[in-house]
Amino acid sequence: MALENVSVYVEGVALEMSWADPRRNLSEFIFDTVRNALDDAGGSLDGITSVVLAAHDLVDGRSLSSMVTAPAAGAYLRDEIRYGDDGAGAFAAAVTRLEAGECERTIVAAWGRSSEHDVDAVSRTLFDPIFARPLGLEELHISGMRAQDWRRRHGGDSRVAAKQRAAAAARNPRALHKGGFKSAASYPLVEADLPLWGDVAAAMILTTKPTGVRLAGLGQSSEPYWIGDRTLHEATALRQAAERAMREARCKPAEIDIFEIDGLTLYDEAIGLEAIGLAKPGSGLDALAGNEKCNPSGGGAAGYCAPSMGLVRIIESVLQIQGRAGGNQIAAPRRALATGSSVVAGQTQTAVILEAA
Amino acid sequence: MSESELIEIAGQWNFNYNYFAGESASRFFRELRENQRIMGTRCTKCRRLLVPARAFCDACMERTNEWEAVGPEGTLDTFTIITTQFPGLPKPPIVMAYVTLDGADTALINLVHGLDMSDIDKAARRLNSLPRVRTKFIDEPKGRITDFSFELI
Repeated sequence: MALENVSVYVEGVALEMSWADPRRNLSEFIFDTVRNALDDAGGSLDGITSVVLAAHDLVDGRSLSSMVTAPAAGAYLRDEIRYGDDGAGAFAAAVTRLEAGECERTIVAAWGRSSEHDVDAVSRTLFDPIFARPLGLEELHISGMRAQDWRRRHGGDSRVAAKQRAAAAARNPRALHKGGFKSAASYPLVEADLPLWGDVAAAMILTTKPTGVRLAGLGQSSEPYWIGDRTLHEATALRQAAERAMREARCKPAEIDIFEIDGLTLYDEAIGLEAIGLAKPGSGLDALAGNEKCNPSGGGAAGYCAPSMGLVRIIESVLQIQGRAGGNQIAAPRRALATGSSVVAGQTQTAVILEAA
Repeated sequence: MSESELIEIAGQWNFNYNYFAGESASRFFRELRENQRIMGTRCTKCRRLLVPARAFCDACMERTNEWEAVGPEGTLDTFTIITTQFPGLPKPPIVMAYVTLDGADTALINLVHGLDMSDIDKAARRLNSLPRVRTKFIDEPKGRITDFSFELI
């Protein structure tokens, strides 16, 4: 429960999707985005006493990665926490610090650089070494099984939704328009369903002083670890996280103007839209195909690298509410729901509702 | 060397680990190796039979107690067809599936063999009917998850 009368506002944001830029090392890559977020917030570090990061050692290729990277995100002489999960989770941790009165301004940052590592090899290390890793599983294989389970129950395919998603990504000025790559698709996934691996950095400045965008609701939840215990064609933890966020924001899906749903593949995004209650079971792909409110950023087609994607979805929502989204701007949205997921098949989920203040 | 040359440093991160399987997984693997059977453990609270066997139910946060064998037959829940090679696994395309073995309350993942993969769509249609499968062990089980796979009945 938040302290009474403490609200959280967005002061500045920055986002970069690029590919294999040899002019910058990882620290410089992070610095550029955090610096841009600070500039977006007016340029000053005054009053910032907290830095909350989302980063993975294996993605960064550096053990205790924050030793190398945190100073580039503004951590010098500040209280720094690294969150070993998605960037939306780091956002939630930063919010709790503000609401608890621990700080008045904080940096939140997340990044991942696909061009520096073998994403499929790192994906194989996600699985437990006892029961799953010897089978050679990758995260996309589980998404393939989720997609198959969903398709068997509901029918249809992703062609129209994939076309719309690609068009949205093409309109998004922040999307990765050059470079990147895609992994091999496992049936029934096809290449258009897959994420476009890129180098991604995202940063925000949060504050307790009023700005034009306010946090209205927040929820988090987790699935069981064992994937065989889960209902793969649904996203139970996301449903619970979104319900919590909407209860806190006192709104329903019909009262939300923008939905930025994080998912590794197009099917994961569709299942996410069903979980939050915007689309009925079996109609998530239709929503992605025909409802411009759903992932106007282009979702995973605009560029993807864990663990930054939840923070990317939040920033895209902020830009929409501020009317600064650019070519993919939706007319005058007042309220947005963004989600971030982490670990295989979205085991952990964060849902965030932002409103025009 | 040009003044604008930008340098990339090749890197490799290859450490050795010895993962402790723990008592429950060790017994599970011993059962594979010595008795060629798949075991589950039952949650003391929700009473689900969890497979593979484990020490606790993370939904209830309670320990498991009873051990029970499941299968050897079961029903395929969902699958994917993988087209990339992984060291130690058969040449692709290969079928990976979650199967709920008879008596189990959760699904277990492993390879599915015995399907003609020359026509992927035809194979997918067959698998999409959620066929019955049986567990098939390798000739000399080693106490690893790769000791068995599934085959269509």
